[in-house]
Amino acid sequence: MSSTRARYSAVDGAIDPLPDYAPSGGEFDEVIAPDGSVRPHWREFLDGFAALPEAERDRARGMAARLLRENSVTYVAQGDPEHRDRPWQLDLFPLLIEPSEWKAIEAGLIQRADLLNRILGDLYGPQTLLKAGKLPPSLVFGNPQFLNPCHGIAVPQNVHLHLLAFDIARAPDGRWWVLSDRTQAPSGAGYALENRLVASNSLPGLFAASNVQRLASFFARFSEHFLSLSRHDDPLAVLLSPGPGRTTYFEHAYLARYLGYSVVEGSDLTVRDDRLFLKTIDGLKPVDLVMRRVESEYCDPLELRTDSLLGVPGLVQAARTGQVVVANALGSGLVESDAFLSFLPGLCRHLLDEELKMPGVASWWCGQPQERAYVLDNLDRLIVRNVTMPKTILGPGQDRFIGAELSAAEREALRGRIGREGHKFIGQEPVALSTTPVWLDGQGLRPAHMTLRVYVAATADGYKVMPGGLTRVSEASISQAPLLEQSNISKDSWVLSDEPVDTFSLLTAPHNALRLRRGSRDLPSRTADNLFWLGRYAERCEGTVRLLRSLLTRLHGESDLAAHPVALDRLVKLLVAQEHLSQRRARQAVAGGMGAVEAALGRVLFGRDTPDGLVSILGNVRRTANLVRERLSEDTWQILMELVETVEVSGPGDSLNVDEALQLLDRMIRNQAALNGMIMENMTRAYSWRFLDLGRRLERIRHMVRLIRNLAGRGDPEATGSLGLLLELADSTMTYRTRYKAVPRLVAALDLLMADETNPRSVLFQLNAFETHMSELPSDSSEAIISPIQRIATELHATLRLADMEALAGQSRRDKREKLERLTHKLEEGVKELADLIARTYFSHSMPQHVSGPQWVEMPS
Amino acid sequence: MIYDVNHRTRFEYAQAVSISHHVLHLSPRTAPRQKCLSAAIVVDPAPTVRKDGRDFYGNPITHLTVQEPHAKLLVHSRARVDVTGPGPIDLEASRPWEEVAGLLLGPTDAEALEACRFAFASPYVGIDDAVHDFAVASFTPGRPLLAAAMEMTNRIYNGFEYRGGVTDVSTPVAQVLSSRTGVCQDFAHLQVACLRSLGLAARYVSGYLLTHPAAGQEKLVGADESHAWISVWCPVNGWVDFDPTNNCIPGDEHIVLAWGRDYGDVSPINGFMVGGGSHAISVSVDVAPQA
Repeated sequence: MSSTRARYSAVDGAIDPLPDYAPSGGEFDEVIAPDGSVRPHWREFLDGFAALPEAERDRARGMAARLLRENSVTYVAQGDPEHRDRPWQLDLFPLLIEPSEWKAIEAGLIQRADLLNRILGDLYGPQTLLKAGKLPPSLVFGNPQFLNPCHGIAVPQNVHLHLLAFDIARAPDGRWWVLSDRTQAPSGAGYALENRLVASNSLPGLFAASNVQRLASFFARFSEHFLSLSRHDDPLAVLLSPGPGRTTYFEHAYLARYLGYSVVEGSDLTVRDDRLFLKTIDGLKPVDLVMRRVESEYCDPLELRTDSLLGVPGLVQAARTGQVVVANALGSGLVESDAFLSFLPGLCRHLLDEELKMPGVASWWCGQPQERAYVLDNLDRLIVRNVTMPKTILGPGQDRFIGAELSAAEREALRGRIGREGHKFIGQEPVALSTTPVWLDGQGLRPAHMTLRVYVAATADGYKVMPGGLTRVSEASISQAPLLEQSNISKDSWVLSDEPVDTFSLLTAPHNALRLRRGSRDLPSRTADNLFWLGRYAERCEGTVRLLRSLLTRLHGESDLAAHPVALDRLVKLLVAQEHLSQRRARQAVAGGMGAVEAALGRVLFGRDTPDGLVSILGNVRRTANLVRERLSEDTWQILMELVETVEVSGPGDSLNVDEALQLLDRMIRNQAALNGMIMENMTRAYSWRFLDLGRRLERIRHMVRLIRNLAGRGDPEATGSLGLLLELADSTMTYRTRYKAVPRLVAALDLLMADETNPRSVLFQLNAFETHMSELPSDSSEAIISPIQRIATELHATLRLADMEALAGQSRRDKREKLERLTHKLEEGVKELADLIARTYFSHSMPQHVSGPQWVEMPS
Repeated sequence: MIYDVNHRTRFEYAQAVSISHHVLHLSPRTAPRQKCLSAAIVVDPAPTVRKDGRDFYGNPITHLTVQEPHAKLLVHSRARVDVTGPGPIDLEASRPWEEVAGLLLGPTDAEALEACRFAFASPYVGIDDAVHDFAVASFTPGRPLLAAAMEMTNRIYNGFEYRGGVTDVSTPVAQVLSSRTGVCQDFAHLQVACLRSLGLAARYVSGYLLTHPAAGQEKLVGADESHAWISVWCPVNGWVDFDPTNNCIPGDEHIVLAWGRDYGDVSPINGFMVGGGSHAISVSVDVAPQA
């Protein structure tokens, strides 16, 4: 290998952009040619990169990290029993591909997509390939992905594969090879899109100067064609997801939002009259198109896997009658089996009368005697895969054996399995991958092995390739190269253009071919449910934060509360009444005095296992927000994430530093204000906003009446300062002062907090808002009688309007205000009933149950 | 022999079901030794959607959707079938089993290609070493396929206990093999698994068996049952049935409903419903010889 100095031959005096970069030489390097020179299409980029000052590089990396965190780009590692979200890793240094080379890749993959689609069409149709002996039957009937109920289902325009992916890699001689075909429900396109967004924003100058082909029109053309396949005008498209906690849920929500589809789960859908419907808060809406991210066999428990909880009973029949188009067609996973790899060259000649343009990895399918013998003879150096196991999302299938790493006993066991069920196995040559620079930790650039996942979509003009893709890198040694498929370090892939690029973007363009409006029209019941609870949790969080801040201020400040054990006692009682502290802990805290009370507050604030502590409320905010992510704007999402991360990031453990805690609570209150502002000012008044706000309103009533009962229910709140605290917690101190300019009096305060329609914190204000929402939500208008929801709301409304504040403020027995107590209980009960009724009216999405007969339990006579 | 078959299935639910979907394999198919003279399925309440057709294996199949609230569902299948016995089979004259397995690797005619559909593991028929070991005890090198299959039928009949309530439809073959217990369906799955572990083609057959009352007693209407057995493919002989539960080659007292790779392909009734709470199923089968 020539020296690093010598290989760089740009203009005199330029900085060497790759001072320490030294590819091993045995493999193909994407940047450095064998003679040590920089490949031409990298030169301009590298010059630009070399010219970036250190500070600019730091800024770019920092920005990328921040964007990925703020957008919550995560994935769940395959096989992680806890389904934890892990951060997505992006190496900012992109992969560059020159235009002419990309054209060759495109041609190869378009041909391959076409070929796989035709094979599927034949195998789920006339099966002439089997009859003519072009494919061994075991490849089909021995593969669990051949779903016999799907045989004979006609698909519009003979498109089985709408969106597919290919993992490709470059051999030492520079040629591209296909490692793996992905036809089931390929993932990663959304991550590629996110990578592009982050990379182009973090390295804006380099991106702009590089004339990179844009990705957006690929998705637009895919969706345009997909929507056109519906039998009906103005079609409704959904993205069927297995739900949160699955490997790539982030991407499901991301793509659904990007394409303007609703993200749904199986239980959101139902089949009636052989048509698919979405359960919305406005009743059933016919669904015309399903982009599925659920594997075919799980899509319909009636005709496919009866144990599936992810599907829709009757979906196969709906597809059979042509009422719904499923992408990719049910059963499409069949041809992604690696067993097909060695048959594709022959099938390509047979079906397309062409030579296969891009070769696959050398593979031997053990269902044939000669090939099996070859694999058994070379077991110590080949890689063996069980091709009947489903492929994992980003990695290879399970049951993969690296011959060189097997013990003698393992090799014998494998030999036995191959001998017995050869059709299940293939042997593959280990592949040498090309290398490309990684820059992940900001140190120098180092070579790492890479593969590229490229996406192909059916469009009105046939298959089209996404100009870019998901580059994945691993620094593992070459003997582990196949494991690269499990790597989660990715790069943006820049396909360079020698023409002006199409700068169309779905994310920024306000008008485009897609029908983005439908998101607001059809609100799935489950989404409405989650929005309602997000509203409740966000409001609960705000109430808790305000309460904690006021209590901390009093503990900490110059108020004489600390000196009076009685007052300390009341403070703790409030925590109990608002359900933040258990009775037992409260008694311990009061007995322990000031220090113990501080510790108790600390636990409510930061304790991870305090059931009604701030951390657990924030956890609920995060969880419900995640479930409705596609309904929230990016800005709203980021404010929410800042809010939920405040305590996680800066929570000082169990010891309470009051100054720090107060600062933190102040920050959270400002965050809450920003969130409320976003919701009020930036969300369209669609059903989703109404459910979010309904949740907030009901929770605010509940919080307020409890505060009133606990702070003003007995004794002399004017004298003890409880009334001042109440006004402060209700954020109504200023209103009270401007109105009365006096020391707080109970009657006036009760009026302001309960019955004053102009005070946005009052109970009546919330009830008014509630009734407005209900009048806008769909209801069964054929019912002439008043609905139970209306009845309860009207009754509460009337009770409040007619309430005599003087009487409420009056004490009846001992020091207790029984009328006030009764009213607050009535309001609290009313809120509970309203929430239950809303759930029953709008949120029912139960899962169907299975029956099967007969079962043999008796001995036949 | 001509039979009238009445098969009634009654579902009762604790609460009303708002919608239910069912797939039925309840109309007897036509087979080489069986003619279906008439068949009808009556459903109460009447389904909103009903489609009658054929499945991938050529079995009659019915799709039902009941969309009105219902607390019970009655499915009554009536059929008249004419069944002929297989005639004498010279088991020892059949082809050596390895030859047949070889034919299935590269089928050269439509019959062999069709048989390939039944030559591999399927959702209810898992194949492992234990299954293979159990199989090779009968399938010694060069042995005529049908003779070996008869011996295997015999071994299952003698070596396994028929006991209801221990297994259900999802009980894996491996468990049936290790516990040596099961019902007709388990024995059929086991035998199918054994044959496929050798590379042979074997079907799961769903149907009915004529039962005979004990001496001196009158036959009770509705006391018959659904039954399951197997069929193995052998060139020249074609598909030959074996009943491991009764240790016999089915004659004219076995009535075929449908065949598939396993129970999952031909479950007589498979259904999903929304609502309903707990449910009870009662089944009555009556097989009445006519001539």
